[in-house]
Amino acid sequence: MRYLVVATLGLLIGAAFACVVIYYNPLIAKAASAQPDVADRALHYSLPSEVLGFELGEQVVPPGTPKHDGLLWEETIERTAMLSLVLDDAHDKPTAIASRMLAVSPRTDFVLSGVRVNDYWLLTIPGEGTLFLRAEANVWPFIKETLPVWYLGRPWKGPAEYSPTAGPGEHGEALVVGATGRFAGLEGTAIEKYRLTDLDPAARSVAATGEIDFKLGASQVAKSE
Amino acid sequence: MRTTFFLAIFLGFAGVLAAGHFVPWGAHVRLPSQTRVIANGGRAERFVIRLPADRIDVAGAKTAGLRAAAAVGASALAPQLTPEPLLVEHFKIRDAAGNVIGLAARHWSADAHASGTAWSLMIPSRGALLLTAPAEPRAALDTALHTAGYNAGTAWNGDVKVAFAPEGTDAAVVAGGSDEFAGLAGKYSETWTITGVTDGGELHGTIEIDTVTRHGT
Repeated sequence: MRYLVVATLGLLIGAAFACVVIYYNPLIAKAASAQPDVADRALHYSLPSEVLGFELGEQVVPPGTPKHDGLLWEETIERTAMLSLVLDDAHDKPTAIASRMLAVSPRTDFVLSGVRVNDYWLLTIPGEGTLFLRAEANVWPFIKETLPVWYLGRPWKGPAEYSPTAGPGEHGEALVVGATGRFAGLEGTAIEKYRLTDLDPAARSVAATGEIDFKLGASQVAKSE
Repeated sequence: MRTTFFLAIFLGFAGVLAAGHFVPWGAHVRLPSQTRVIANGGRAERFVIRLPADRIDVAGAKTAGLRAAAAVGASALAPQLTPEPLLVEHFKIRDAAGNVIGLAARHWSADAHASGTAWSLMIPSRGALLLTAPAEPRAALDTALHTAGYNAGTAWNGDVKVAFAPEGTDAAVVAGGSDEFAGLAGKYSETWTITGVTDGGELHGTIEIDTVTRHGT
């Protein structure tokens, strides 16, 4: 009996120590993010004021969030989210509308790469055309700083800035494909940054301002022809 | 006793790290793909959207027609974004067997400089697809419904089929993809079949997206 108690205690201590190691793991904090390069264009958004629609899959709703009948309940999409938002130009004039479809990535690894999310954007700038962005974001730094505030009542040290874009580009940037209008045939890269400005532990909600920076050029296929 | 204690600590430590590394935390439920091989190479796959059940939300200019004006959950856009027709729709998508397998966004604009339609289909267990085509005419669905006897403000039942991207057209293309869809190219067709409209303007019917793709074409 004593051996069982000692073994259980040892397992719990070992598991707790591993959790601390994961929490402070520098590999998954660093595994974020491409560095911003010179951008052709930057668009800004503000959350929640510029959100047109937001749906969260049942399995990714943070525990304790006020209940509502979610639309994304099927088992194939229960770990996804859909967000549509308006983006502004440098003069804060509404310039574009974006649809973002997000899904937890199979590349999520708590030891080596962090909590990864596939983030697909369809972004239309009226009068110019539509772009398709494919990003992989590391949301571990956000989760790590948010959950203790929401669930443990710890004081928030924000505002905090994040650069979640972590791929799939060669240098950790998102990949952009021109879909319609003047963007058709163009390719490029993008990086997203955001600044968390408020955390509401009761509503499990956040306020943030964000920016997406693009760099576009002729596609490699077109160049070689 | 001491050996047991330290061995247990090691096992607890290693077990949690192993779980963090090896457990597929990001894996999604995957249903068998409803694809079929077609003659002369390539594969065909149909994606289906049932209206109104699969509509998540919509945002757009009222000038875009019934789909923008009467949909449940419609969001108004800032006036700066709507001097020209623009319609953004979000749906769940199903496979040919009717199972929900992913999400889709459709952006349509019909202004003089940047008209076009773009679909982004995301199937969490398989990746994403980008489809592009020339824009259908403004309020094309409204026109077809009115021709079939629909009057705004009254309920209507019938069977109207509108091909926004007709089968065989070269301009409706699979323009990109990720993961399982990476490197695929091909064509698609998009057909809206409307079987009813409520007096509030809610559409009932299906959208069928038929893709034919092959690697590296």
